[in-house]
Amino acid sequence: MKLSAEAKNVLETSMRLNKTDDKERAEIEQLIDNIPDDRVLFYKNVVSNPIGDLPRYSIHIRIQHMLIFVTFLTLAFTGLPIAFIDQIWAQPLNDMVGGIDISRVIHRTLASVMIFAMLYHVFYLMWIAVRDVARGRFELQRSIIPTFKDVRDFKLDMQYSTGRRDQRPEMDKFMYKQKIHYFAAAFGNLVMIISGSSFIFPEFWATILPQGSASYFQEMMRLSHPHEALLALLVIAFWHWYNVHLAPGRFPMQWTFLTGKITREHQIEEHFLEYLRNLVELPEEREYLNELLDARELSPSTDKTLKTAEDSI
Amino acid sequence: MKKYILIIPLLILLFSNPVSAFEDETGCLLCHKYPKMGRITEQGIKRSYQVIPGMFGSTVHRNVPCTDCHNYIKQLPHQEIKEGVRCDSECHSIKNPATGKNFSHKPIYNTFKASIHGRDKIETGLDADKPYCISCHTNPIFNPDEEKPPKRIIDRCVVCHEDRKFVTNWYKHTSRRIRDVKRSPSEIVELCSNCHSDKALIERHVEAAKKEGRELGKKYPIAVESYDESFHGKVTRYGFTKAANCLDCHAKQDNYYMNVHDIRSSRDPESPVHENNKVDTCRHCHIHADEKYAQFDPHPTSKKEANAFRYYANIIYGWVGDIVIALLIGMAVLETIGRRRDGAGWILHKGSSWWRKSPRNRDRIE
Repeated sequence: MKLSAEAKNVLETSMRLNKTDDKERAEIEQLIDNIPDDRVLFYKNVVSNPIGDLPRYSIHIRIQHMLIFVTFLTLAFTGLPIAFIDQIWAQPLNDMVGGIDISRVIHRTLASVMIFAMLYHVFYLMWIAVRDVARGRFELQRSIIPTFKDVRDFKLDMQYSTGRRDQRPEMDKFMYKQKIHYFAAAFGNLVMIISGSSFIFPEFWATILPQGSASYFQEMMRLSHPHEALLALLVIAFWHWYNVHLAPGRFPMQWTFLTGKITREHQIEEHFLEYLRNLVELPEEREYLNELLDARELSPSTDKTLKTAEDSI
Repeated sequence: MKKYILIIPLLILLFSNPVSAFEDETGCLLCHKYPKMGRITEQGIKRSYQVIPGMFGSTVHRNVPCTDCHNYIKQLPHQEIKEGVRCDSECHSIKNPATGKNFSHKPIYNTFKASIHGRDKIETGLDADKPYCISCHTNPIFNPDEEKPPKRIIDRCVVCHEDRKFVTNWYKHTSRRIRDVKRSPSEIVELCSNCHSDKALIERHVEAAKKEGRELGKKYPIAVESYDESFHGKVTRYGFTKAANCLDCHAKQDNYYMNVHDIRSSRDPESPVHENNKVDTCRHCHIHADEKYAQFDPHPTSKKEANAFRYYANIIYGWVGDIVIALLIGMAVLETIGRRRDGAGWILHKGSSWWRKSPRNRDRIE
């Protein structure tokens, strides 16, 4: 496979950071040469373990996801029946979560757990960012921070989806879709925390805000809390769960949030640049790929006509 | 067997708790005991004038003779009744034990009369929309099962007061008031809503005020619906008892029982929701409330004419939400179509989800 300049850059950086020696370097370059040029053909032919092949999320990220996942849903189920009290489902749902006297305690307790999860996440990210910068290993494009490349990836991916391109773009560890989702969730979380705090500590917000704006702020918060909650729930139910449970190849479930691992075909399809790093970092992946390319005769150098001729003799 | 069956009603009679005898000294029951005693009013409403002695004998007014309240009846059979019972009349048979005067509801009636709700028994026009005493207060039936007084207390009382029945009733009367029995917040909201959510009534008053150039409260037309929309209103509807209900803000709290009868207009300096008193009123619950806090709207509404800011903010929020959802779902659909076109299957099957054939002629090698 002929790598794009971008992919080459990622590979070079990865080999430099991992202090790959010349022997390994030659091995990796040879291996990449043997990968078929058509990336689609490549990910169609690898063998993946449904529960994941390649490392993606550390245990901290998985714990943070689990905390947010459980608290978010319970917060939604205890909060929505109050905000949307006139809906037909509100009363039964409120009864189901224990009635107002209990659900308000659950809601406030879990809100603090959610805030803790958010702080845990922010401090964890800060810690690994500082650590990586100190070690000279920090790669901006490998992080969740959006770059201009994401805009281009989005455009190219839309072209692929609409049939005007035969390849998906070479995307990094976090593709544009995940960055949108991540920052939407982060923003939503912040909105929920600020608006929620304006319900539980209204006097505090009235004290610190200037005269004239305090009441407008409170009105905005009263609107924001249920609107944002409903939007978040709909995004989770119709988009996130579709992407991780129902989309082709992900049904019935992507195990990444439990195992921290991503399937090989998924990594190559949507996170090809990260897969290149996997090839540098994981000798066993190189070994696997070598065997696969041989077994499936996928290498562009394999002369199929010659082989067929040999077989027939 | 048959003769034993007869015993059952006898036993019931024997052990039933007969209510205090209702003494009909004035002979009212001569006529009013009959179930068909009644008439159809000019408005076509059937009114029953039957008095069931056993029932009346269980009410809080059981010891008041008929003519103490129906004091306009001087002869039998009586004349047509024009006004009916007024709650500020004096009982000649019951003395106020504190003052020794004839018992009367006059003090609370006068307070009520001076309030924004104040009216006379018979009113016409807009004042007829206001509540009279019986709009909120019925003649409640004394519930004999409500609470059995502890035997040790009754035993102690009868040592001097002799009559066990008297001390039992006295205990119930007193303990009920000590227990702070009042309407629950949701009942209070329901009570006020009876009139304040009546669209025709509100319209009548708004129109009249406009004609007379009289100022009405800003929230008057939407008082109930906006309260129901507020956080206080929502949790109260679910039965939460610590959130503010109508009376917590609109009645002064120094003597709750007196002041709930003394609701004032929000322009009245005496009103707890008057501009100058708001902060103190908020502080009953929100102890750190300041002037800025008191500007928060306890009757939030998204109606354009009442709160244009919230109206537009709500619309923008709605649109942003809809657009975000539509875009994200659109993106997921597009992605699915693209990947399906390329041969993606739904399930990861034998190590791959790309086992379907694709028209692009680059299928998985089996």
